[in-house]
Amino acid sequence: MTTSILVVEDDKQIIKYLKSAITSNNMTFFGAQNAKEAIQKIISNHPDIIILDLGLPDLDGQDLIKEIREWSHTPIVVLSAREAEVEKIKALENGADDYITKPFNTGELFARIKVALRHSKKLNSQADSIFKFEYFTLDFASRRVFIENQEVRLTPIEYKLLSILVKNSGKLITRSQLLKEVWGKNFDDHGNHLRVHTQHLREKLGDNPLSPRLIITIPGIGYRFGEG
Amino acid sequence: MKDNRPNPDKLLEMINNDRAVSSRGHLKIFFGASAGVGKTYAMLNEARRLLDEGTDVIIGVVEHHGRKETLDLIEGIPILPLLETNHRGIIVKEFDIDGALKRKPSLILIDEFAHTNAPGSRHPKRWQDVEELIENGIDVYTTLNVQHLESVNDLVAKFTGVWVSETVPDKIFDAADEISLIDIPSDELLKRLAEGKVYIAEGANKRAAENFFKKSNLIALRELALRRTAERVDAQSDELNAALGKNENQLGQKYLVLIGPDPVSETLIRKTKRMANSSKAPWYALNLRTDKSANLDEKAKIRTEKLLRLAEKMGAIIVRINGNNAAKDILEYAEKNGFTRIIVGHKKRSRFLKFLPSLASELVENASGIEINVVNQSNEKFTKQKETKIEHNSLNKIYDYFWSILIILFCTLIGLPFRDIVDANVFTVLFIAGIYVIAARFGIGPSVFSSVVGVGAYNFFFCHPYYTLDFYEQSSRYTFLLMLITSLFVGSMTAKLSRLVKLSRKDEQEAQILYGLTKGLSVARGIQAMAQFTQAHLESATRYKIILAIKTGEKLQFLSTSNIPLNLKEQSTIDWVIKNNQSAGLGTDTSPSAFALYIPLSTEGEIIGVIGFNPNEAQNNISITDIQSFETYASLVASSLARAKRSDEAALTRVDAENEKLRNILLSSLSHDLRTPLTIMNGIASNILKHRKSMPREAVNEIVSLYQQIERLQKFVSDLLRMASLTSGNIKLNQREYSIEEIVGAAIKKIEKQKGKRRILTALSGITPPIYVDGGLIEQVINNLLENAINHTSEDGTIKVNISRKGNNVEVSIIDDGNGINNEIKEVLFEQFKTNAQNKNDRLNSGVGLGLAICKGIIEAHGGIIEASNISDGKGACFSFTLSGVKENGQ
Repeated sequence: MTTSILVVEDDKQIIKYLKSAITSNNMTFFGAQNAKEAIQKIISNHPDIIILDLGLPDLDGQDLIKEIREWSHTPIVVLSAREAEVEKIKALENGADDYITKPFNTGELFARIKVALRHSKKLNSQADSIFKFEYFTLDFASRRVFIENQEVRLTPIEYKLLSILVKNSGKLITRSQLLKEVWGKNFDDHGNHLRVHTQHLREKLGDNPLSPRLIITIPGIGYRFGEG
Repeated sequence: MKDNRPNPDKLLEMINNDRAVSSRGHLKIFFGASAGVGKTYAMLNEARRLLDEGTDVIIGVVEHHGRKETLDLIEGIPILPLLETNHRGIIVKEFDIDGALKRKPSLILIDEFAHTNAPGSRHPKRWQDVEELIENGIDVYTTLNVQHLESVNDLVAKFTGVWVSETVPDKIFDAADEISLIDIPSDELLKRLAEGKVYIAEGANKRAAENFFKKSNLIALRELALRRTAERVDAQSDELNAALGKNENQLGQKYLVLIGPDPVSETLIRKTKRMANSSKAPWYALNLRTDKSANLDEKAKIRTEKLLRLAEKMGAIIVRINGNNAAKDILEYAEKNGFTRIIVGHKKRSRFLKFLPSLASELVENASGIEINVVNQSNEKFTKQKETKIEHNSLNKIYDYFWSILIILFCTLIGLPFRDIVDANVFTVLFIAGIYVIAARFGIGPSVFSSVVGVGAYNFFFCHPYYTLDFYEQSSRYTFLLMLITSLFVGSMTAKLSRLVKLSRKDEQEAQILYGLTKGLSVARGIQAMAQFTQAHLESATRYKIILAIKTGEKLQFLSTSNIPLNLKEQSTIDWVIKNNQSAGLGTDTSPSAFALYIPLSTEGEIIGVIGFNPNEAQNNISITDIQSFETYASLVASSLARAKRSDEAALTRVDAENEKLRNILLSSLSHDLRTPLTIMNGIASNILKHRKSMPREAVNEIVSLYQQIERLQKFVSDLLRMASLTSGNIKLNQREYSIEEIVGAAIKKIEKQKGKRRILTALSGITPPIYVDGGLIEQVINNLLENAINHTSEDGTIKVNISRKGNNVEVSIIDDGNGINNEIKEVLFEQFKTNAQNKNDRLNSGVGLGLAICKGIIEAHGGIIEASNISDGKGACFSFTLSGVKENGQ
């Protein structure tokens, strides 16, 4: 079965170009020019992934993400001319899986699409209890972490932090999403717990922040585990 | 039922009041029954103790009268030199208020609170100096004898026979933070007196003083002092009780005292004040303006004003009403406003006038539910002031009567030619008409006078026999009587009416001035035009010269001075007005010897200027009514000027806001309208390249270069937008703690694809402190610098990123092994659109030169420094920036 992609975008030129890019990559293309149409297409066509422009004529893209997330787990990659980080964070927190800023090139777009698809498949198949990434291994069942088969001792918080990142491997997690998951709702990070704990975690995992391979900082937004 | 629950709001308010007071200085009064009880001694003793504890105490004024005990105590306390002023050839030494304000001690000692300053001083009274010191946060210790308290002043005078003119308002005494009662038994005081330990003035005053220090007097004074202190304590506990829900004034007492020009009014004021004090009732002083009062001479009017001011000083609220039927109008006012008691004076009158109703008796007669207190004006011996007769301006009066006779004569002359043609009775109407004119013009006196003269003239000229006062017809007797009654009636009614008209004309005049002012000010555009209009309008309407100054920044700009020379004294008065937001100058208690009355122009607590009213020529007095009108004008002018000022400012900010809006619209439309087509072009180009295998080689090359150019354009657009938002000066830094390594790591990761075969080496020396930055923007800086390095190195070059700690700062250097920076361009490297490209081809790759300008903008927004240099040993350029680290506390 081929992958089907729904593009929600009001600019006809972009739709036209994306359509040709998507079909030439052997994927199925659906287009929607407004939020209403988008919801109909999601319900009737069950796309594998949604590419969503934030500037829509009938509804703010952010609100559309929230609405879709109420009843669908279909991955969403946000396409935006808005460069502000606040917008990106908001989109991610509303439930988008990734974002890409206009102007972008096709290669970049498809790379993001692949990561989002991979991630959603993993979620659907309820990943194995053991996660492996190059020299890194995490055993969810025994809550143990290995580097090159050497066990690394982590504190409960460090483990929790790492396990959340690993579960979402390849996906961008915002700071506040992490804070909420690890420390609970309404936690105020005045003491910079997140920075300090990631730093310790990196030291224990032998991950050099100057050339990170496991925990990657996305300045201004959050963290991601592994390659994007 | 009494509501005894504490009222939290009131308690809070009290606490807040205490706090408000704390920014003011603290006033402590050493209070005694008379001289010689040891107030100064006690004050100095306490000051010494505080001085030893390290408090900054100075002596402002202390009268030692050469006594050794006092001199011993003074020794060691710093003394503020007295200010010497030359008053008409006599050197006068007074307390130096400006010196004290400049010196700003924490505590200053000022003896003799009730002292009157030499003419020309800033304030006429020393207690006003003290007020200003407290206002400025300086604590003051002072001394006061009970006889100098305004409200007991007359009482003391009554039983001691000594009238003191130096008084302190009760509200100042009541507002003092602390009262220390210095009390010694009267016998003790007499003993000290006998030992010569009490200072008594020499000469004629000595006898008076000796008279004063009688045992009976001293006992009475002592009682008075004790009682007054106790009253103050009461007042304080009342405040607390009120806050706690216990209200003493359950009865809702409210007193009204009637004030006229008579000397009894002063007694009334003091009496009412004492009554109001002891029952904690609010009190009002009412001045009724009737046709009779309008007839008073200037002196009586001024006296009334002075009495009203005295009442105001003692805490009364001043009310003026116009009316004709005194008793009725007063009762109506009192009933309408819920007064419970009216205090009225009563003058003993001659036996002849006794049967006429007096105001007091009329009030007693007609009052229902309101208590009337009648105070007799006795022949009090203390009325040392000039006996106050209501004098009419006699010369003018004589003229009035003279004119009345002329009018009667004129009526006679008109009638004479007809006296044999027409019936004599007709001429009565002629005379009544004349009397009507006289009454309207000259008032009641001349009208009564001419009624009598008129009847006489009628008899003399128009009744047979002519030229005698005899008459033939018995009925004429009734004609005369009727004529007299009618003319008296017409005369008095007309006179009353015309008085009322004159009174209301004055009110109307004020309303007219206000109306004109409002109208003119609403039309005038700009502050200058408003000032000119205000000056012209008020000068023509009030016959005062207007001085108008507006505050621009800290400086005062005079918009109109009406050619009045503003000497140093006027200037300092104006400065005082600005500083204190209070009226000063002529007619006030502050610098009353100034040329003009200065009223602050202030709205909502903000002072925008000063308006001065300078009476023409010799007149150097302004009545309270005028001051009140002027204050109304001033507030109107102030709000108009404030409006003008605001609209000027608003116009400026509106332009700014419009610009900002335009910029934002431009930015967002740029970002959408440029990016979208670029994205599409980019996409199409890369789509075409997918089919490169089926395309001729040249076509592929062309499309590849098209694709590269599109990428360049995309980058330029992003740079341009970023630069625009940086230079707009309103970028919001989304700052958090980061370690510099993670940002550098992220930036290197991002540039991975662009670097090609080049190597990027990182070096870290020492442990870096975390930095508090906008991570995304700093990543952008490193990205731009890396890109710049990539553009200036050969395909297989090496780029080094060094991170080091410099003190608590973090320094990041990006070093390439390219050709280095061209010397010509070094200075302007970080400016917009400047590149280090040495040839066209180079420029093609390196963009338009916004990258470094963006770096500079971002680093400087973080308070950091960015520099560029060439490597001293070897080839290449070095770009480095420094950011300050977060001071780590315990982590």
